[in-house]
Amino acid sequence: MKKIEAIVQPFKLEDVKEALKNIGIDGMTISEVRGHGRQKGHKEVYRGQEYNVDLLPKVKFELVIPDVRLEEVLEAISSAARSGKIGDGKIFVYDVAEAIRIRNNDRGDSAV
Amino acid sequence: MTSPKLYASEITTAATQRSERIRENFLRTRDAAATLAARAALVDEIILKRWAVMPAGIALAAVGGYGRRELFPYSDVDLLILMPDEKTQGAIKEPLALFLRDLWDVGLRISQCVHTPPECNQIDGNNTELAVSLLDRRFLAGEEALFREIKDPVAELGRNIAELTRQRHTRFQDTIYHLEPNVKDAPGGLRDLQVLRWLQKLGSGDGETLPGVDTLFQIRCFLHYLGGRDDNKLSFERQDEIAQLSGVSSPEELMRQYYRAVRGIARLAVRRLDRFEAKRSSLFTQIRDRTSRLSNSDFSIVHGETFLRSPGALTADPQVILRLIDFTARHGLPLSADTDERVERGIPAFENWIATHQPVWPAFREILRQPHSGKAMRAMHECGILAAVFPELREIEALVIRDFYHRYTVDEHTLVAIQTVLDLRSKKGDLFGDLANETQDLDLLTTALLFHDVGKGTPDEAHVEVSRRVAETALRRAGMNDRDWDVVSFLIGSHLEMSAAMNGRDLSDPATTRDMAAKVGTVERLKLLTLLTYGDISAVHPSAMTPWRRQLLWSLYSQTYAELTRELTARIWEPPVSADPELRRFLEGLPPRYMRIHNEAEIQEHLRLGRESEQKGVAVSLKRSAAWVLTVVTGDRPFLFASIAAALSSFGFNILKAEAFSNAHGKAIDTFTFADTARNLELNPEEGRDLTLTVVRTIKKEVSIDELLRRRPRVKPDAQALAATRVTFDNAASPSATLLQFSTQDRPGLLYDVSALISKNGANIEVVLVDTEAKKAIDVFYLTKDGAKLSDDDARQMVDALLALLTSASALNYDVV
Repeated sequence: MKKIEAIVQPFKLEDVKEALKNIGIDGMTISEVRGHGRQKGHKEVYRGQEYNVDLLPKVKFELVIPDVRLEEVLEAISSAARSGKIGDGKIFVYDVAEAIRIRNNDRGDSAV
Repeated sequence: MTSPKLYASEITTAATQRSERIRENFLRTRDAAATLAARAALVDEIILKRWAVMPAGIALAAVGGYGRRELFPYSDVDLLILMPDEKTQGAIKEPLALFLRDLWDVGLRISQCVHTPPECNQIDGNNTELAVSLLDRRFLAGEEALFREIKDPVAELGRNIAELTRQRHTRFQDTIYHLEPNVKDAPGGLRDLQVLRWLQKLGSGDGETLPGVDTLFQIRCFLHYLGGRDDNKLSFERQDEIAQLSGVSSPEELMRQYYRAVRGIARLAVRRLDRFEAKRSSLFTQIRDRTSRLSNSDFSIVHGETFLRSPGALTADPQVILRLIDFTARHGLPLSADTDERVERGIPAFENWIATHQPVWPAFREILRQPHSGKAMRAMHECGILAAVFPELREIEALVIRDFYHRYTVDEHTLVAIQTVLDLRSKKGDLFGDLANETQDLDLLTTALLFHDVGKGTPDEAHVEVSRRVAETALRRAGMNDRDWDVVSFLIGSHLEMSAAMNGRDLSDPATTRDMAAKVGTVERLKLLTLLTYGDISAVHPSAMTPWRRQLLWSLYSQTYAELTRELTARIWEPPVSADPELRRFLEGLPPRYMRIHNEAEIQEHLRLGRESEQKGVAVSLKRSAAWVLTVVTGDRPFLFASIAAALSSFGFNILKAEAFSNAHGKAIDTFTFADTARNLELNPEEGRDLTLTVVRTIKKEVSIDELLRRRPRVKPDAQALAATRVTFDNAASPSATLLQFSTQDRPGLLYDVSALISKNGANIEVVLVDTEAKKAIDVFYLTKDGAKLSDDDARQMVDALLALLTSASALNYDVV
């Protein structure tokens, strides 16, 4: 099993969700997050005062999937989230040691 | 209430066993209809057993595919739970949650909704999906009176369905042609079949039986069983597996069956939707009805569609079919569904008539000369007239060319190519548009396109010659004269020449132009062949005609034109004797080819870069035209070319062409033309600086190439693609260089590996032409050794070394010299 964390532009939320749905991935956790990478935020002016917006709003997808579906899922997320501009986000992949469904103690692939 | 745990374990075992039996049955009989019904019956049983312990006063219904008893192995089981009023909701919440949880634990993917009957009877834009699913409702258990309160939906729902269908088709670019189609949602897929059935329930259309539906059902069953989930994508891998399991002779044949099936469904669905939407717009109706003035003694125009005045006309006089098509070609109006059907039924009589009434060519040619001949050809193809006139065309009907870049079946490719060329006529001011308007024999060109790939239906033989032979039989029988046949025969026989030269020959080499001029012979034929090539390339897939390919085709055309008319347009700029000594020194030792392909401004720019490189060691410039061009001027050294290639690959750019020159003073001028498909350079201004910096650092060896290429995704080796690797050399094509040509699976760093190998073997790279077609790279290297061609022995050694590199197991790892 692999855990995927994808940080994408907020306006790409629906596209990514749809792309995942299209390849049969229904289970995911989505949260609104703030952060910056190489993009490092930008300057904005508020009431004549310049200030730094250094943490930009992003959306984070977290999902756990069977190993065999990894490439397909990565492809789906990256092509749906891509606009071609800086700030499109990042995808991280982790190994998952175990998954347990709390209700009935199912383990492994069937629990995700 | 039964203990949930007990229920689950008891039922699950039985359900699993029976599911397994249904699966085995399917794999043995391949009877999809029986499988779907058996699954629906099994799920009915499981659900009803569990429903028995539910409280009274509510009802359970099956909707969607489950309601129709067409339950695919891993499809969602759509349930509707009906309650009398909102108040009941609180009371049934807990038992309902347990009910659904138990079904989930049995392994059913339940998709449920809970409503009151009045909610179900309300149709607006927000609940179309519910309303549509109710069209297939089936009572399962509980309070039947509640179920009977649901009314049949009104015809208005049809509009919503039409709109949703349009949106879905748009998601699939409105075409049935996808290499790896989604058998459920793609146009012509199972969803469209449902749309037809729904519209029929809403009073539009009759329950016509559509051929090929069984095939689609079967394919989807296989997809679910093979994937172990609701997987509807018919990938290349699955095409192989399903062809084998279902006893179809080859994956190509399976896809042929698939396209035949979806083509019929898509055609009917689009037609029905048109009718629904046409009812809405009154402006549209007005414009459309103006066309009724075109009616004549044979045909009447009603609502913009062509009808036969006398329904029996076709049997009495089969020739009406030709007049009908001629009418379509003149006015561009579609046939009505009714006409379509009558024509299809009249085909056998028409075939007999054709057999005894040759020559048909004069009438056919007249059709080709009309303004809407493209539409007429398509109409003729769709109702079988084309195949009746030229039975030879049946060979390519729905024929699939199974590779990663041919998007269409051969017959569709043919029609798209024809339409592309005909559409050029309306593009005034466009280079190719003007060419199309200057050309006399577009009808002959259309005929040549119609037959150009017909030989693809005969495997194991080079298709060009077969196509020519088949066309000869067909067109001679139709009564084509010698002069016209000469033109058509030439076009079919040479239809690959221009694209071969574009992709595999240095266009600035005079030998290439001379060779092409000798092949075409006259300007008129050159124009026709250029247009044919334009159509042929454009019809491979929607984005095949890139600006780069367009530019290549145009240069090949214009240079060959100059050669034929002896116009020396490609004048070579000669620096005046009085030119500044710096320039003269820079040009010393550069071959004539350098002067031929660069104009004065470019040479001045190179000189400037040369000056810059004196100070910095390396000078780089990046410019954009039809593609991006990176120019590097620096002191020549081994592996320079390979390093630049690696730096470009590490950014994910596709190198299209590269040239290397060096002067007598050890200055190298390397030019790389590349495509930036992800539009990185265009969207991110900083990326250009990053790129030039990386190139400089790579050349100065401040970054290792290994590290650079590690940034690119690794490519899964495809055994078939690797096995199809070809390497050849040609010592005759160019007067000054040896051509080394190869095709293999594309991957990041390929050009780097190959150019590094060439440098290691002591040869110089003059020009590289790269053509990538999806996953395949086709490269041509112009090589020299000590300023001359390679000896045959040297070339053979190079071929062997390259073949070893490309096919070795480690070929896809980044081996760095």
